[in-house]
Amino acid sequence: MTGLVALLLCLIMGVISLIATYLAIVERDLLKALLFSAVQSTAYAFIYYSLAAPDIVLVYIPVAVGLYPLLLLIVIKKTERYERP
Amino acid sequence: MMPDMARFVYNSLIVILVFNTAISLYGILARPSLVKKLIALTIFSDSLNSFAILVGYRLCKGFEQPVPPIVTRIPPTQEHISKLIATAVDPLPQALVLTAIVISLAVLAFLAALTLRIYYVSGTTDARSLALMRARAAVEGE
Amino acid sequence: MSAYRALILVSMVVFALALSYALTYGILRLEVPLTLRDLAKLYISTTFNPLKRELSAMTPEGVTAIVWDYRGTDTFFEIVVFYGAIIGSVALLGAVYRYPPGPGLSLIAKTVTRIVATMILVVGAAIALHGHLTPGGGFQGGATLAVSITIALVTFSLGALMLRGLTYGGMVALRSLGLIGIVLTVFMVVIASLTAGITAYVFQNQPKPGVPIGMAYSVDGIVFSGTVWFLNVLDAIAVAAGFALLFIVLIGGGVEGERE
Repeated sequence: MTGLVALLLCLIMGVISLIATYLAIVERDLLKALLFSAVQSTAYAFIYYSLAAPDIVLVYIPVAVGLYPLLLLIVIKKTERYERP
Repeated sequence: MMPDMARFVYNSLIVILVFNTAISLYGILARPSLVKKLIALTIFSDSLNSFAILVGYRLCKGFEQPVPPIVTRIPPTQEHISKLIATAVDPLPQALVLTAIVISLAVLAFLAALTLRIYYVSGTTDARSLALMRARAAVEGE
Repeated sequence: MSAYRALILVSMVVFALALSYALTYGILRLEVPLTLRDLAKLYISTTFNPLKRELSAMTPEGVTAIVWDYRGTDTFFEIVVFYGAIIGSVALLGAVYRYPPGPGLSLIAKTVTRIVATMILVVGAAIALHGHLTPGGGFQGGATLAVSITIALVTFSLGALMLRGLTYGGMVALRSLGLIGIVLTVFMVVIASLTAGITAYVFQNQPKPGVPIGMAYSVDGIVFSGTVWFLNVLDAIAVAAGFALLFIVLIGGGVEGERE
């Protein structure tokens, strides 16, 4: 029974990640797109936790919530903030 | 009842991950900004990694949640190991995804450096402007 | 919307629908399994099993055992790819030997960062040092250490940290130290076996059938899993130093006046 609950939590987080991915791709302000992509990463971290993979959670949270946004933040700061239509 | 429900949730999760992959692939191919392409690339690789983790998942008897593949009693007896085999998830996809995440981060860092270099040389990160510049340089060269 | 973009959109929709159908009800049908695969059974039954001493990796944590023992060569070449990418970034943006110290962020941010970055540093070290017993390992610990370093880089500014010792040359030296340590650990059992007159495998950890030589897996009842502990610690050092190098080059490198 607990396995079904974990799968349902995965499903809810999957829906959140789907919305966040869509918003990240259509957003023209690259800084906001980066924030939506961080939301998607957080949802994926919950998915990994419910799928009994604590090793992946421990590598995914520093990489996808910490280092990806920092890296791309530096690139956005040094180049352009808005995507041309 | 319970097998149908488990199957429905599992299939919905697969569909969501495939749609995430498709949306990010659209972002890589169709959006003009190079930085937007990089953001889409991170979502693309993460979706495929989640898919590998999902394939390694299993359910225990009575649809219970499995445990991570870690021996918690040292030294273990044969009984503990049989119990772990009955309740643990597959460790191999997790190990493969662990290396894949680090490799995708390294590739992203290299591509970010490349984007910065392109911006220093040409003054833009828009793929259409870059193509236009290249066409103009080719015409002037002739 | 141009015709090119519409074409991509339509093909993505077709791709998503076809792949979801094939994976759920079609030819590639996936179902959630109730038993383990045979390969996974083999891995779990030999990851820490004193009864099968000749086959076991003697590492309680299954994922770390696969990463550094069963599939060690795979991980080694993954590290090669990782450092290739970082060396490529440095080659594109140029080395940074000196950078003017900036003011950094406000005093509040600096005080909070002093506390939080130290805490993250401790957590990263714990993840790396206990990687063979609890979830974690070299990559996890190294990435966590790198987050701490990059937060400090953003808050205190690059120039101020370079004066305190986070220099380009220092990070290159640390990274090289980690890599040399990994290579030496990989060949440790081979060198030991040559003195005993037999030939061991590269990346060997515990004694294997036909090669009765290997590392001890515990000292006084404290399990450290032979080479796995050394590889975890050295890899954490190398990954953290590699990321610090990358961020130093990304923040300070590149000649902005080169733009036409």
